[in-house]
Amino acid sequence: MRRLDGWRITGIVFLAGLVVFTLVPMAWMLVTSLKGQFAALQYPPSWIPREPSLDNYTDLLSPRSEVGRIFLHYLLNSLWVSFATTVLGVLVAVPAAYAFSRFRFPGRNLLFYGVLLRNMFPAVVFLMPLFIMMRWLGLVNTQWSLIITYLTFGLPLSIWLLKGFYDNIPVQLEQAARIDGASRFRAFLLIVMPLSSPGIIATAIYSFILAWNEYVYALTFLNDKNKLTLPVGLQAFFTEYATNWPGLMAASFIMSVPVVVMFLVLQKYFVRALTEGAVKS
Amino acid sequence: MALFRRIVRHWADYLYIAPALGVMLLVIGYPVYFTLYLSLFNTPPNLSLDDKIFVGLDNYARVLGADSVREASVNTMVWTVFSTFFAFVLGFGAAIALNREFIGRGLLRGVLLVPYVISAVAASYIWRWLYHSDIGVIGAAAMALGLADHKLNFLDNTDTVMAALIVVNVWKEFPFAMIMMLAGLQTVPDALLRAAQVDGAGPWHRFWHITLPHLRNVSMVTVLLLLVTNLNSFTIPWIMTGGGPAGASEIWITQIYQLAFGRIRFGLASSYSVILFVVMMTIGVLYVRALTRGDARRAG
Repeated sequence: MRRLDGWRITGIVFLAGLVVFTLVPMAWMLVTSLKGQFAALQYPPSWIPREPSLDNYTDLLSPRSEVGRIFLHYLLNSLWVSFATTVLGVLVAVPAAYAFSRFRFPGRNLLFYGVLLRNMFPAVVFLMPLFIMMRWLGLVNTQWSLIITYLTFGLPLSIWLLKGFYDNIPVQLEQAARIDGASRFRAFLLIVMPLSSPGIIATAIYSFILAWNEYVYALTFLNDKNKLTLPVGLQAFFTEYATNWPGLMAASFIMSVPVVVMFLVLQKYFVRALTEGAVKS
Repeated sequence: MALFRRIVRHWADYLYIAPALGVMLLVIGYPVYFTLYLSLFNTPPNLSLDDKIFVGLDNYARVLGADSVREASVNTMVWTVFSTFFAFVLGFGAAIALNREFIGRGLLRGVLLVPYVISAVAASYIWRWLYHSDIGVIGAAAMALGLADHKLNFLDNTDTVMAALIVVNVWKEFPFAMIMMLAGLQTVPDALLRAAQVDGAGPWHRFWHITLPHLRNVSMVTVLLLLVTNLNSFTIPWIMTGGGPAGASEIWITQIYQLAFGRIRFGLASSYSVILFVVMMTIGVLYVRALTRGDARRAG
């Protein structure tokens, strides 16, 4: 039995403080989302809703209510953009990462680190030229403008992470398969793919969350109200007259659920995606 | 022409990276070029770029000489330095506290990571609601505890707005520092720590002489990534205050956005972007260097 020394007590108090700091805002979001519009505006604010109800949620998720029609539409838009970004991201990142790991072509290091530098560029700096480019390509106000842009947000980390996985799969496994008559592609499909599936899952989640949460490009590239994604669509809760705070909190909660669940279930891979590379000793 | 022969011999290898490279060039290469180009022009306050006038480096002079830019620079430094410092300190502290086995550790780590995963948009709305000047729960709590005798207006007050925004930002990104440092702590060899303990080194000694030196690289990468993220922040200040009140929370990025898409001054905003870009590249080079220190041997 280890005794409780000063260091451990400090650690416990510190962690408890952090948990409160983390949870209070989220708890307040939940409490507010269970209130009606009038109850939410009462002062002093109450932590226990007098008449808790799920009305805000059923309104948002029902295609028959007015707010639900818009919200579900934005939800589908977000799903489509995130899903397309994820699938394309994996399809583009896998061969690139494989090549960076296996082949020794001239310019390999230069290109690899060039790709990584993408993370250094401020998103807003690219906004203007991309806006002009998308306009020129006729893609402004289409969701493809977002999908193409989000693709490049996720690629550097995806390629970096997958390359780490491929580096750890012995080349001999592939060589053995090829001696047995498999093509390079078959060897990749049957041997490398299954072994690197955790990496592929991690990159997929990473791309999905990036696309799901993105705000500034969606704000700028889309102006057709029907095409908005959720983060921009939430503006609908601010009207000239009043802000529907309970509705906004319920919508924020629904928007957070998919990414939080996805993340908690696959926490291990996600953490790996973020820390890969930085902690090699 | 050995290089050329090697490129030809490896031609098929490039096919694998072609899609990635193509999309990166389209979405990065072209914009970099176009921003540099546009920064030399005076553009009309609409989107008809054919009417632009070449002005050389005038835009740069105007950006560097503007008072509003100087104010935004001070805000940006405050925002970046304080956000990075507190996110790193809280994250590192949490990592140390979590770096031992106890019941519920996984759950606790999961809970602490949630703010990092939810969208900055949701986070901004939640905190705007918490800070609400009339019925916000933070102001009400301060009054109930006797810390304030009147309703507090955190976001509409030039003295408190930056601090209020930094709290939100730290809430959102300390978990990132936490997982990075936790991953770093797990690479510190146990055997070394035990050997030191056997030799009579106390916990503080072990931490200072064994753990910390092992964390140099990961700390460097974490701080650099936080710096870059904070210099690039847009969503939290934009949704919560839009740079106000009276420019008190205006930072470089929100100012560029306002210049480009509020006032439609693409030329001026481009030169501003280029200046920012140079700052970023400096940090970027440091980042790649820190990242490759351990990797160079293997990649060579």
